[in-house]
Amino acid sequence: MIRAALLPALALFAAPLAAQDFSQNSEAKSWNLYSEVPAMFEAKVVDAMCELTGDCPENCGDGDRQLALLRGADNVLVMALKNNQPAFTGAVVDLLPYCGQEITVDGLLIEDEDFPVKNVYLVQRIKAAERDWSKASQFTKVWAAKNPDAKGKGAWYRRDPRINARIEAEGYLGLGLEVDAAFKEYLFE
Amino acid sequence: MRHLLGLAAILLLPTLPAAAAEGERITVTGEIIDTWCYYSGVMGGPDSVVGSAHHTCALWCSASGIPIGLLTEDGTVYTVLKLGAQDNATGSDTALRLASHTVTADGMFYARDGINYIVVENIVEDLGIVNLTHEDYDVVPSFAIPEPKE
Repeated sequence: MIRAALLPALALFAAPLAAQDFSQNSEAKSWNLYSEVPAMFEAKVVDAMCELTGDCPENCGDGDRQLALLRGADNVLVMALKNNQPAFTGAVVDLLPYCGQEITVDGLLIEDEDFPVKNVYLVQRIKAAERDWSKASQFTKVWAAKNPDAKGKGAWYRRDPRINARIEAEGYLGLGLEVDAAFKEYLFE
Repeated sequence: MRHLLGLAAILLLPTLPAAAAEGERITVTGEIIDTWCYYSGVMGGPDSVVGSAHHTCALWCSASGIPIGLLTEDGTVYTVLKLGAQDNATGSDTALRLASHTVTADGMFYARDGINYIVVENIVEDLGIVNLTHEDYDVVPSFAIPEPKE
């Protein structure tokens, strides 16, 4: 009798563990990626290393740690790799203000069983509590504030002092300036 | 009653914070890659977004905080969460210095929800960039090297 009564309850418990479709209600825009899947879900913003190892500094590491989304529906740890800017920009800057908070995110999961890859994410927009949606596009703004001496025309990654120092030392291929010079001659001949 | 108590315990499990997993010490050799370009295919196939062809893009992505990975010869990717005791690997100078390098790393391995992670304690060996993909792919993306002004 008890077993019979438990079945519906166990079914309720098991439901979130089954594969879920998070695309419903998502308004994520396509990036025309082979394995993108639109996904909107509620999650807690967490420091990935804290979640895995128990080593937990204040405020998710203040931007030094990789951040992840602990999805409420199934407790899956989703790695936030990318923000919404088409400019080689990560998601840490956009998620850090929400460290430890429950938020709703909308974006693109990258899912491909054959590759294999799953549970990595491009965050396009964020909704916290009663606030309106905000775009996950803060990286370049924060970068500009941190690099006032790098003002100028062109994309941030052409002006970033640390990137430019590495290219000046080792070339665009990373193989040294001599190899670089010969390659550029071939490339632009 | 025991059944009901057991059920209550099971039902409470998903609401509890995940306990830290026990790591496993490993030593692995592989290339430090840019995980976004590798997983997403945004720049092309996986062979084109590694090595020297993709080095500049790997610098851009790493500097912006996109996670770096360690790609081993058998195709396993470990998301790198730390690069030595004082370095959290997120846009760090060490991560930039090691972009596209093949390294042997010693650290703690964790796995969760289909993703492998490594907390690197020590880079045992750094072979530099040995994956010369520019010989096959030139540069990826094609605008990585700006055209010289005439």
